[in-house]
Amino acid sequence: MKPMRRRTLSLLGLLGLPTAFLLFFFFCPLIIMAVYSFLTPGLYGGVEWTFFDLNYGRILGWADTKYERFDPVYLEIFLRSLRLAALTVLTSLIVSYPTAFWISRMTPARRTFAIFLVTLPFFVSLIVRLFAWVLILRPTGFLNQGLMGIGATSEPIEFLYTDFAVIVGMTYVFIPFMFLPLYASIEKLDVDQLEASSDLGATRFQTFRKVILPATLPGIVGGSVLTFIPALGNFIVPSVLGGAKVVMIGNLIEQQFLSARNWPFGSALAMMVMAAVLLLLLLQLRLVKGRGEAL
Amino acid sequence: MSASAAPLEIVAASKSFRTPEGGTVTALDNVSVRLGGSEFVTLLGPSGCGKTTLLRTISGFESLDSGDIVIYGRNVTDWPAHKRPVNTVFQTYALFAHMSVGRNVGYALEIAGQNQRTIRSQVGEMLELVGLTGLENRSISQLSGGQRQRVALARALAAKPQLLLLDEPLSALDKNLRQKMQHELKTIQQELGIGFVFVTHDQDEALTMSDRVAVLAHGQIQQIGAPEDLYKRPANLFTADFLGESNLIPVEAAGGTAHLGDGQHFPYSGLEGRGTLMLRPEELSRAAGDGPALAFPGRVSARYYTGKDYQLELASETFGALQASLRDDGAVPAIGEAVTLYSSLQNLHVIDEVVA
Repeated sequence: MKPMRRRTLSLLGLLGLPTAFLLFFFFCPLIIMAVYSFLTPGLYGGVEWTFFDLNYGRILGWADTKYERFDPVYLEIFLRSLRLAALTVLTSLIVSYPTAFWISRMTPARRTFAIFLVTLPFFVSLIVRLFAWVLILRPTGFLNQGLMGIGATSEPIEFLYTDFAVIVGMTYVFIPFMFLPLYASIEKLDVDQLEASSDLGATRFQTFRKVILPATLPGIVGGSVLTFIPALGNFIVPSVLGGAKVVMIGNLIEQQFLSARNWPFGSALAMMVMAAVLLLLLLQLRLVKGRGEAL
Repeated sequence: MSASAAPLEIVAASKSFRTPEGGTVTALDNVSVRLGGSEFVTLLGPSGCGKTTLLRTISGFESLDSGDIVIYGRNVTDWPAHKRPVNTVFQTYALFAHMSVGRNVGYALEIAGQNQRTIRSQVGEMLELVGLTGLENRSISQLSGGQRQRVALARALAAKPQLLLLDEPLSALDKNLRQKMQHELKTIQQELGIGFVFVTHDQDEALTMSDRVAVLAHGQIQQIGAPEDLYKRPANLFTADFLGESNLIPVEAAGGTAHLGDGQHFPYSGLEGRGTLMLRPEELSRAAGDGPALAFPGRVSARYYTGKDYQLELASETFGALQASLRDDGAVPAIGEAVTLYSSLQNLHVIDEVVA
């Protein structure tokens, strides 16, 4: 057998199964969703196979009073989701960056343990962890008791079912997604380069801005993308911690599929999320272009 | 800044580290050095001798437990690294991988807030000095090891240091390139007229480049002086042994005469009691010469050809194994041959320490 064909064969053997898996379980459902988003919703659930652009019309503003009406609330929910996801990214970044820095300076044994601690919440069911946050944030919860105990407030503050609660919850859930890529890039940081920078006259802040930040940018971008994408489509956190008051696009999609049984509309909403994510990935590619690492 | 002040004065510097096991290691033990004018001074020593620590206390990356660092009359002991008028060429070069060559070289000027035009012309000048004209826009990953070394040098020099510190900058280069860079560094130093403090564990490098060499061991300066002095007249056994090959022969001196173990003697007035005669391998030869000489009879036990000469190991009954290097005159004794080697009585050097 020629060496070329051997290589092709071994590549096929290695990549064949995963490719088939992705095609079947990822790409096919996606195509079905994309197609459904342009079909007419059936009267009793399901779809009718006729072209229909009002699923998008309902969201983006071309109205048709006969079947579906345009309602700005969908766009509002979409924009709120973008905002909450972006704020989640920001808070995760603020929490993770110094932590990653600190951990990267530990002795190897402690470092391994610290990283284990960061990923530890993964070992407990998400629902259990989120209800723990309900106990903390509710009017009679620990946070309010503490604040009233030190006299910071006389009345319990409404934390639960606010944007704040959702951001706290999502930050908590997604911190490992931010932390790990961030840590990977911070750990690679060359200490000599930091010394060189200060040797050449830079203050700590200048070194941070000119050397540390650009050198860890791939980690920042990677972590942000990995946090933003699941945060944008998340529906568990807003339904537990946001209740009926903070509805995110994920909740809306879930309702359309499970309660309203309007699959085409749900698909259209899902496609909007995907468009936002694809735009973001494009941005990421531009940001880290030529650095030789995507994430 | 007073004109008469030395570029660098280290006064009674001490520094110790805690080891992870809980012990302490003394890296610097009461070290004092004074650098004159635009000297090229090398800190030479085996790894762990404290030479890198000494350099890092000058650059400000390590603080001293006690003692002072004075640069041109200003005591900078408590100054942070970014304020000190010294710059460093790092062993790993520590180039900023996300910046172009030009931005690397211009970094200090960028930090100092110089305008783009000044930076560009300075960067061009520095790159010309190190022989990399026109490479401003290259990325660091596109450079060879030797080129990176030059960029690191240009970057440190662009900051216009009053003193340049070099931490084993040539150790990653291959032998030919290293020799070339040694000459270039020396030339650049003379051209700029600033002091260079160079750290290395490579004795050839130290002897070739330096105006003065400081030999460090166990956190102390064993000897500091011109390369010739160090090589020909080492102050102690450590320096004799560390710099080049040497034959160390016990002697006992009394009343202006030093006696070898086999009864041979030579006039020597600098010592009373026991000491050690140091003979470099090239001081031994097959011919006794005109004047009086010491004779070392023995049998050749090993012979190596190095290109410029033959290295012989002579098994002597009285003195053990002696090293000699003989020119290839077509009559170099073979292994097993009995031979007598001679050393002229001129310029014999005795160290007032006893071989253990």
